[in-house]
Amino acid sequence: MTLTLMPPVVSEGPALTELRLQVRAFLDEQIADGRFVSHVDTWLTRWDRDFTRELGRRGWLGMTIPPEYGGHGRTFLERFVVTEELLVVGAPVAAQWIADRQIGPSLLRYGTQEQKQAYLPGIARGEVVFGIGMSEPDSGSDLASVRTRGERVEGGWRVTGTKVWTSGAHEADAFFALARTAPLDPAHRHEGLSQFIVDLHAPGIEIRPIISMGGDHHFNEVHLGGVFIPDDRVLGEVGEGWRQVTSELGYERSGPERFLSTYQLLAEAASAMGEGRLPQDVGLGRQVARVAALHQLSFAVSTALEAHADADTAAAVVKVLGTSTEGDIADYVDMLTATGWVEDEDLYRLLHAAIIQRPGFTLRGGTNEILRGVIARGLGLR
Amino acid sequence: MSARLDPRLAASTAADADLVAMLTELFEDYRTERPAPREVVDLDPDLWQQLDQLGLTRLTAPESSGGSGASWFDGAALLGLAAAAGAPAPLLEHGFLAAWLLDEAGLPNDGALRTVCRPDPAGTALNVTYGRDASGVVTLFEDGEQWRVADVPAGRATIRQGRNLAGEPCDTVEFDLDDLSAGALVTSEVGEQFHLRGALARSAQVCGGLERIVQVVVAHVREREQFGRPIGRFQAVQRLVADIAAEASLARAATDTAVARAAASDWADPGLLFAVGVAKSCTGHAASVVVRNAHQALGAIGTTLEHELHVLTKPVLARRSEFGSIHEWDETLTRLATSAGHERLWSLITTGRAGPHH
Ligand SMILES: Cc1cc2nc3c(=O)[nH]c(=O)nc-3n(C[C@H](O)[C@H](O)[C@H](O)COP(=O)(O)OP(=O)(O)OC[C@H]3O[C@@H](n4cnc5c(N)ncnc54)[C@H](O)[C@@H]3O)c2cc1C
Repeated sequence: MTLTLMPPVVSEGPALTELRLQVRAFLDEQIADGRFVSHVDTWLTRWDRDFTRELGRRGWLGMTIPPEYGGHGRTFLERFVVTEELLVVGAPVAAQWIADRQIGPSLLRYGTQEQKQAYLPGIARGEVVFGIGMSEPDSGSDLASVRTRGERVEGGWRVTGTKVWTSGAHEADAFFALARTAPLDPAHRHEGLSQFIVDLHAPGIEIRPIISMGGDHHFNEVHLGGVFIPDDRVLGEVGEGWRQVTSELGYERSGPERFLSTYQLLAEAASAMGEGRLPQDVGLGRQVARVAALHQLSFAVSTALEAHADADTAAAVVKVLGTSTEGDIADYVDMLTATGWVEDEDLYRLLHAAIIQRPGFTLRGGTNEILRGVIARGLGLR
Repeated sequence: MSARLDPRLAASTAADADLVAMLTELFEDYRTERPAPREVVDLDPDLWQQLDQLGLTRLTAPESSGGSGASWFDGAALLGLAAAAGAPAPLLEHGFLAAWLLDEAGLPNDGALRTVCRPDPAGTALNVTYGRDASGVVTLFEDGEQWRVADVPAGRATIRQGRNLAGEPCDTVEFDLDDLSAGALVTSEVGEQFHLRGALARSAQVCGGLERIVQVVVAHVREREQFGRPIGRFQAVQRLVADIAAEASLARAATDTAVARAAASDWADPGLLFAVGVAKSCTGHAASVVVRNAHQALGAIGTTLEHELHVLTKPVLARRSEFGSIHEWDETLTRLATSAGHERLWSLITTGRAGPHH
């Protein structure tokens, strides 16, 4: 009897390795041409619409979207290797990240024909930037408690409420807002929720920056002041929002961005240690081992998802392990360096950004405490 | 989208399903019927005979030398399931290393129980598991620049009995240097591979142990009640359990990846040093968390001689340090990572090789 929590590891076939090398060659060129400066946590903090459009031209966005909607009809595994290559070089991918990861798949699953035609080709071209409108000031982990409400009006819905921590809302064209469309029934809290596709340039929308502790601006508060949402911008079924949002989160949890957010720092630390700029320490090998194993585990989960296997628990395992590891890497490198140690610019820049970003790793997309509950449920404890 | 996966994209690395089903049943039976745990663990001759009759004692050795010719996928499954049952059998020593060395050296193998070791230049080997039980000891000896393999009958060596942390036979064996130098020559690759094979096989055993520990813990916290409910309902306990399940999963992924590389290349893949290092590191560090949290979740009962837990935790700790300590393997990985440097680290992580400089 072995644990059946996780899907078995699989080896990457030659076709995927070939794709990996193509993406790598392109990125090497981009770096050589000075098109971007590598950084940590770029999938949340670095928007570059030109770069994103270039990826779209090369067929590396909307890869799993069928060709009839402007996509490429490729597999989640092909998308996996492309995203890994983008993440490890610390490329500016925030403009595409949310749309490519979860909005596309959700639209394919729940969208109307017209909605798919309206958004998917733009996502595949890297022209439409999306955000996530789930959290609210009083609704974090307890997402079902959202207070943003939709009221039925002629031809659609009037939506009122405040969303918060909306990453990239100031750069985005639209987001999916989770709202209550029927009064809360305490016995059935997950019912009466719906998802709206909200144009962030619509009248009644107000976006205010929230400055992070490092001084940069990646998330926002989005106020919806009675915004009119036409019926054709309801996503899926009215009242089915909880089920839809949960499946959307499934795409969010097990991808390579859950263990590679600080990869640039790890790689720079390897060079620094090799060149004597950091002291020799075996902790480096330990972190490298964890990243290597997470790469396999995350790929295994993608393979299971591709085969439509249920992977909720497995995805939670990847996210708990991966986000802890990427944060531990920041802390580990910090412990090797002395105060006032500034001569090493690249390492210093990456390290400080990683330390500042770290607290978010284990919060965003469902906190690790909540995810441990998911794992416990998978093990039959609750 | 089809449910079937294009094989060019990803190749499944699972062991033979029928074999795994057979092994699962065999070791479940063993576990439920074995004698109550004691402070020492001795070879179970009946079990050994049963395994031998089933062709499991030399599962991965080539058929030409009397083995069963199975892949390392199957081999790793055997080691893991046997470890999960706490089965006292020198499968690794006899079947994975001694048989392989004899075959490499072109020496005959009559199938009688053997253990294996690498004696020091003075002819002494420490920590020879099941040394006292073997009819012969297969030695890998660094004779100046050359590597030699000898099949030394037990009667020609002096055996001082000891026990490892798990209470398993773990003896000191002193050889006559002439016996060692009379061994057949093997290539230096055999010397290097010995360490890798031993390390990976130990990782496979540790993984099997860790997975069984998780099962024992899950069963316990669902059943044991305090404050009027199963302790597994308490979030603090759930955290202990979720974390060990996650660590055990990471260890499994790392080990299976190395096994897949070994099986696909018949141990020729130059990325194996890295892959085995990742397996050793991840299983070794996982063992710390799993052993600690498992004991915490089990409470006082888990610390008793009669309980199954120590039958699993002690071998896990004893084995993780063999064929290179965790520290040594982390050091090896550090060396590989620092020489790869920023640009080539990702290639090292994905293929086990840093590749050429840009
Ligand atoms: C960098 C970053 C980007 C984000 N981007 C977005 C975005 O684009 N869109 C969006 O909608 N949201 C976004 N979020 C919000 C994110 O989803 C929430 O932070 C998260 O769901 C947790 O909610 P909270 O911050 O309100 O914390 P709380 O829910 O208040 O939790 C605080 C602490 O209490 C713990 N806790 C809460 N409930 C329980 C429980 N039942 N059991 C055990 N522990 C519990 C939590 O684990 C945590 O440690 C982002 C967050 C971050 C940090």
